[in-house]
Amino acid sequence: MVEVAPKVVVVEDERQIRRFVRTALEDEGCQVYEAETGAQALVEAGARKPDLVILDLGLPDRDGIAVIRDLRSWSDVPVLILSARSNEDDKIGALDAGADDYLTKPFGVGELLARTRALLRRKLRAGDTTTPVVTFGGIRVDLSRRTVHRNDEPVHLTPIEYRLLGVLLSNAGRVLTHRQLLKEVWGPSYVESNHYPRIYVAHLREKLEIDPARPQHILTETGVGYRFQP
Amino acid sequence: MVPVKSTLRNALVGDGAVASTFRTYFLALVACVLTTAIAAPLSKHLDLANIVMLFLLNVVLVAVRLGRGPAVMASFLSVALFDFFFVPPQLSFAVHDVQYLLTFAVMLTVALITGQLTAGLKRQAELASNKERRTRALYEMARELAGALTIAQVAEISRRFLRDAVDAEATLLVPDRAGQLKPAAPGNGDQPQHIAPQMATLAYENTACTDLDAPRPVGYFPLKAPTRVRGVMAVASPNKDLSLLHEHHELLETVASLVAIAIERLHYVEVANSAQLQMVSERLRSSILSAVSHDLRTPLTALVGLADSLSIAKPPLPAQHRGTAEAIRDQAMRLSGLVGNLLDMARLNAGEVKLRKEWQPLEEVIGSSLKLLEKNLADHPVAVHLPTELPLLEYDAVLIERVFCNLLENAAKYSPPGSPVEISARRLDTAVEIAVCDQGPGIPAGQSPDIFGMFVRGARESAKPGVGLGLAICRAIIEGHGGSISAGNRVEGGARFVFTLPAGNPPTVEAEEPVPGTRHG
Repeated sequence: MVEVAPKVVVVEDERQIRRFVRTALEDEGCQVYEAETGAQALVEAGARKPDLVILDLGLPDRDGIAVIRDLRSWSDVPVLILSARSNEDDKIGALDAGADDYLTKPFGVGELLARTRALLRRKLRAGDTTTPVVTFGGIRVDLSRRTVHRNDEPVHLTPIEYRLLGVLLSNAGRVLTHRQLLKEVWGPSYVESNHYPRIYVAHLREKLEIDPARPQHILTETGVGYRFQP
Repeated sequence: MVPVKSTLRNALVGDGAVASTFRTYFLALVACVLTTAIAAPLSKHLDLANIVMLFLLNVVLVAVRLGRGPAVMASFLSVALFDFFFVPPQLSFAVHDVQYLLTFAVMLTVALITGQLTAGLKRQAELASNKERRTRALYEMARELAGALTIAQVAEISRRFLRDAVDAEATLLVPDRAGQLKPAAPGNGDQPQHIAPQMATLAYENTACTDLDAPRPVGYFPLKAPTRVRGVMAVASPNKDLSLLHEHHELLETVASLVAIAIERLHYVEVANSAQLQMVSERLRSSILSAVSHDLRTPLTALVGLADSLSIAKPPLPAQHRGTAEAIRDQAMRLSGLVGNLLDMARLNAGEVKLRKEWQPLEEVIGSSLKLLEKNLADHPVAVHLPTELPLLEYDAVLIERVFCNLLENAAKYSPPGSPVEISARRLDTAVEIAVCDQGPGIPAGQSPDIFGMFVRGARESAKPGVGLGLAICRAIIEGHGGSISAGNRVEGGARFVFTLPAGNPPTVEAEEPVPGTRHG
């Protein structure tokens, strides 16, 4: 069976960065299209029907967040954003606008490929009916029977904890902002109560992580939100 | 302008000058003598009653031209001359007919009253026009003050006005940055001789006062502006007596309040200008910071990525070259860390960092810091001891993560491989105290407070990489959160960094109601 090469659009105004991103992705077997500006990015994304868009937030012609919003109005292609550290507001804005994940500059090729693979997998998986059972690090979650086991011992979760876990699992590999979690789990009237997800994530880690102080699966994206990593 | 000023001076100084007083009386005398001379040849043809009329006319004219005093003198003189030259026996003050005494009495009374009335009317008219001139001059000064751009100009305008108007020497004293009253004179910054600092200070505290000990009396007027006293106007009298300060007290106070308002206006203009300037410079600084940050980070990102793609290139490079590529990558990463520290410090120093404080558990930021430093801490077991009932803390997660990273990085850098690093926390009354300890050599004696300064390193010529910004950043961040940070050594050896975060009032969490009928676990 011949696998179709996944198509990736890389939007970045700096040539050298585009160059190594392209090399790395092509080595992974991706077909890479480049764009330097936001306008070009939208044209490429429309023409190539990519499986992933890698987007630098600091584009010369327009705000990266506006590009994401534009893109999201007609496409649900995964978006990986590139951004400088200390721009947490930009990252949150981009994620809330519909981006899936971010990489902080400078980043290594290893990180880039790991994120790329995770997002491409998500894209592939999105098609098939989700398996009702998810396992990670000794934890088995049966979504159809709403049960959680840790090393075959049943784990008791409160309804909110279970709902939070469900949202995290169904967005595996994506970064979820505090706002998104609040909206999904607690409802729109709680969007200002940012401490809720933090407290409940701490509960979940207590129950599911081997060392809650050094979580391996429910990861903190400092200042931005959380990411579930199977 | 000039004619107004010179007549104003006459108007204000009045007709009181000694020399001119003497002259008016002399003129009154001449007028009386002249009247006698005119009347004498006519006395043969005229009734004495008509002669009286001529003298009365003279008194009225004297009153109109020369004022009240000369009119009074002319009244008495006229009666005497009339008696001496015209009433029989002539050339004698003796009177034959007693009824002339009545004539004298009536003549004197009428002369005095008409003289008084006439002189009074004239004085009224003069006062009115003086007042009008003074108002116009004050208005002119107010207009000039409104156009003044500096305090020196205000001082010059008020000085000129008072010199022209009352011949007084005015000095404006305004407080400098240290609150000391200094003359705002254009050109010379020296304190004029006649100013007594204590008096000026007294006036600055809003009590008008007069210095009588000086060679010439000096009046001190507080410059009362709507918001506060803006300074003091010292007015030195042109002569030794106090009359000027008394006579024109009202005028001087008016000038003082006009000057005060002008100075206040200038003050607010300055405040507005400096606010504008500060805004512009802040905007410039922040745009420079973000430009520098972007311009440095872009080549670093390319460098890291390009070196990385060399080291994982297919077919693989010879081991030696791969090592070189990895070294380039690591150095570029380190450089990026240094640039990050420098930019952070610049941002923190510029006061540009807005804390995004949120209530969150402490362990979360510890967890993310440990994950970030996984590589650095690979050789050090890390023990985290947190009390179970630690309250939520309000902090900026990104910045506190930076504090933990800097402290943990130091611990890893300065303690021998294999030695444990410990993080602990405990609740104090109004704060939570967090400690990061290692088992390295500790902090050199006598250095613990200034180790938090910028570009300070424990061992100066150390082979350990770093520029000594990490702890300065920690201090800036912790102080920004209202906490404190200190460094010390543990009794059993090793450094111990302790910082506090205020406990505050954590928000409540609604208890979750158990939902019956659902199965979990």
